[in-house]
Amino acid sequence: MFKRVIYEDWAAIVPIISFIATAAVFLTATIRALCLPKARCQELADLPLEDPTPRR
Amino acid sequence: MSNTATITYDDKSVRHFMNASIFWGIIGMIVGVLAATQLSWWQMNGKFLETITFGLVKSEGLSYITFGRIRPLHTNAVIFAFVGNMVFAGVYYSTQRLCRVRTASDLLSKIHFWGWQLIIVGAAVTLPAGLTRGKEYAELIWPLNIAVVVIWVVFGLNFFLTLARRNERSLYVSLWFYIATIVTIAMLYIVNHLSLPTSLLHSYPIFGGVQDGLVQWWYGHNAVAFFLTTPILGIMYYFIPKAADRPVYSYRLSIIHFWALVFIYIWAGPHHLLNTALPRWLQMLGMLFSVMLWAPSWAGMLNGLLTLRGAWDKLRTDPVIKFFAAAVTFYGMATFEGPLLSIRAVNALSHYTDWTVGHVHSGALGWNGFMAAGMFYWLAPRLWRTKLWSTSLANMHFWVGLVGILLYVASMWVAGIMQGLMLAQTNPDGATLKYEFVETLNSINIYYGIRSFGGFLFLTGFLMCAVNIFMTARKGRAEDETVEVTVLEKASKDRMTLSEALSSDPVVHAVLALAFMILWFLLPPHADKAALVVTILLIAKSVSAFRAGKGTWSDYFNRLLENYLPFTVLIFAAAAVGGLVQIIPSLLVNRAVNVEDRVQVPYTPLELAGRDIYVAEGCYNCHSQMIRTLVPDVLRYGPGEDQGYSRLGESIYDHPYQWGSKRTGPDLAREGGALVKDAKLMRSGKRDNLWHFNHFLDPRQMSSGSNMPAYPWLFENKTALKELPAKIAAQARLGVPWPAMTKDGIEQNARDQAMEIASSLVTAGAFLPDKPDLGPEELRRHLSETQIVALIAYVQKIGVYAPVEKPPVKNPTLDPDAHRSSSTR
Repeated sequence: MFKRVIYEDWAAIVPIISFIATAAVFLTATIRALCLPKARCQELADLPLEDPTPRR
Repeated sequence: MSNTATITYDDKSVRHFMNASIFWGIIGMIVGVLAATQLSWWQMNGKFLETITFGLVKSEGLSYITFGRIRPLHTNAVIFAFVGNMVFAGVYYSTQRLCRVRTASDLLSKIHFWGWQLIIVGAAVTLPAGLTRGKEYAELIWPLNIAVVVIWVVFGLNFFLTLARRNERSLYVSLWFYIATIVTIAMLYIVNHLSLPTSLLHSYPIFGGVQDGLVQWWYGHNAVAFFLTTPILGIMYYFIPKAADRPVYSYRLSIIHFWALVFIYIWAGPHHLLNTALPRWLQMLGMLFSVMLWAPSWAGMLNGLLTLRGAWDKLRTDPVIKFFAAAVTFYGMATFEGPLLSIRAVNALSHYTDWTVGHVHSGALGWNGFMAAGMFYWLAPRLWRTKLWSTSLANMHFWVGLVGILLYVASMWVAGIMQGLMLAQTNPDGATLKYEFVETLNSINIYYGIRSFGGFLFLTGFLMCAVNIFMTARKGRAEDETVEVTVLEKASKDRMTLSEALSSDPVVHAVLALAFMILWFLLPPHADKAALVVTILLIAKSVSAFRAGKGTWSDYFNRLLENYLPFTVLIFAAAAVGGLVQIIPSLLVNRAVNVEDRVQVPYTPLELAGRDIYVAEGCYNCHSQMIRTLVPDVLRYGPGEDQGYSRLGESIYDHPYQWGSKRTGPDLAREGGALVKDAKLMRSGKRDNLWHFNHFLDPRQMSSGSNMPAYPWLFENKTALKELPAKIAAQARLGVPWPAMTKDGIEQNARDQAMEIASSLVTAGAFLPDKPDLGPEELRRHLSETQIVALIAYVQKIGVYAPVEKPPVKNPTLDPDAHRSSSTR
């Protein structure tokens, strides 16, 4: 379509870049999640349920 | 040292937003039902007024309610007015409680509320009047765009100030989703609404053709992502645990869900442009990321549904749980279907059909609509300090709404797949198509009727909701909640500076490794190998730094959670990277100067005026201007040697682009044609001027069975020639190669072309039923000034191109694109 300003082998490269980038994000988030101590996890999960003392 | 304080939450704003959401939701749904019925019965575009007024009102069609104008009204009302107000209600309610602090500024809350409602009113006035930018979900005119940005900034400021004053050290996952929504929507909205105004009510988008298409769907797809999904997920993570009275199923899963979703979603926009003239690498990216999006979407769905573990018994009695469970299930279904439709082969069948319409409505009605209803039913008793007025009415709403959604979605699946298959069906010779477009339309008319009924049922459900909430409010009393909270000292939160956050080990390693990995792909031979070696070394170094740090890396992430500004920057980076990779190369490269093969022939002044009428009437809602790289598309719309599929260069000067995303009528990309013999400016394409004239006057006269509205006002309204100089000047500044012309020259050129077309119409026997007494000369003069002639001028120009000599391709690779471009076809 265009003058060859951009890479000709996108079809071969794009899936690899996509997969590596996504895998990296998934992996980082997974490691981060697994590193979270159980008690801390529970504490954060309970945040919406901890209602402060209501005042009437 | 910590002490306690008594605070009163601002629940008034929540009540306001909730009431506004219900009100505008009903309006948006009424408009939606009207639009749906117009597709089954063309008379619903205005002719029905004759029937219901027993002939008092004479109307072949009413411009303000014609499909092309009210379809954008429906989408904008439902997205920004219904879901928008619902989101603000949920965000204001949950943020205060998760931060244990009252919203930072009552004044900002008030400005936000009233500003947003005024914008909605502005949209409700301008869209039916035909004032539009002509881009889906981005139709509002530029003054309203600026208002949206201002109000969004007000909302963001109020939200972040509330975070800054919070009395809770950590940010709960809902708040992450709200942050992602605020920063990403700001980015998307601003970029896609960059325009050059030509008057107070009109502007041209700064991008044209393929660039405009890419930016549009980067925005359009991510409006679904960051306006209709992420804030609702934040609401889900707060309200489902509250309703079920148990914590979220897996907080760890929510972390993975959030980061993966925010990172991946933004890349998927090009799946709206599969098999089109969009460069292949972008299509590939869009498809791949859409398929990968399955995982985080389902992580969210599972986390939501499994939170109800142990609370399933409430499903029988509590309508709130019913709505939430169904909503999350619909979210799962829609996010299964989305990736499926993003597979190029499947998209070849589904795109431009009602399958897509069914898909978005399973999300909009099921996910958004039911989440909203569940939240409203949970909030109302708490906001008005009473019990819900009628649980059984809420249950009735659930079942009526559910049946409505199922009828809607199922009918659209059948209609879409059926029409897609019919359009591609060939005769036994294999070289010609079996069905005319209008035949396929008539075959699915019954499903359009079922869809209208389904939509009507869903609307009925929401009317029940409105009654229930209204009666609950009447029964109770509006009172803001007052609580006692432990005040968090400033020193114990937000201690990490921005520079500290950005220069920390994990960030530096990640950024450097990614940078060198990208260089590995892009650098010339040998230099790329060096970049790969550096990438590997960096990864090895980061692993050793992670081990040596003994918890400092995970501690860094924990600290981020307690420091909202660095956390926001990180979220923005995750969301922005996909857009940068796709859009920047496209803006740099996909320009007219680089076009090969074919380049668009610019419009004349009258054709531009006609194009603006085409955009104003919302023709893009039903007609595409893009012949896909698919055999059935080419056979139907571009079978000629010099036609074929649409090339990228053929719409390069189009501001806005008009490729469309739904074909209720046939594609128009090859409608135009060459100059008529002996004419100076007039062209004639597939059909002559008289055919178009009669078609706009009464579509069924020319195409039996058509559901297109009649456009009688185009035969009366005058073309705004005075506006042309400013419009042409704006286009010239955007790079469209207009020849040098004076103001008078522009107007004269337009008048000359209009007169040529009007003369040809009178000669061919054009007749105006409303003006039977006009003689040929009077009719010619009358027509030459009307919008219909300008519109005909434009239609006769669509797809006209000039060939561009192809340079030889050096070193052709195994990339099929390269082979095609190097062939001599």
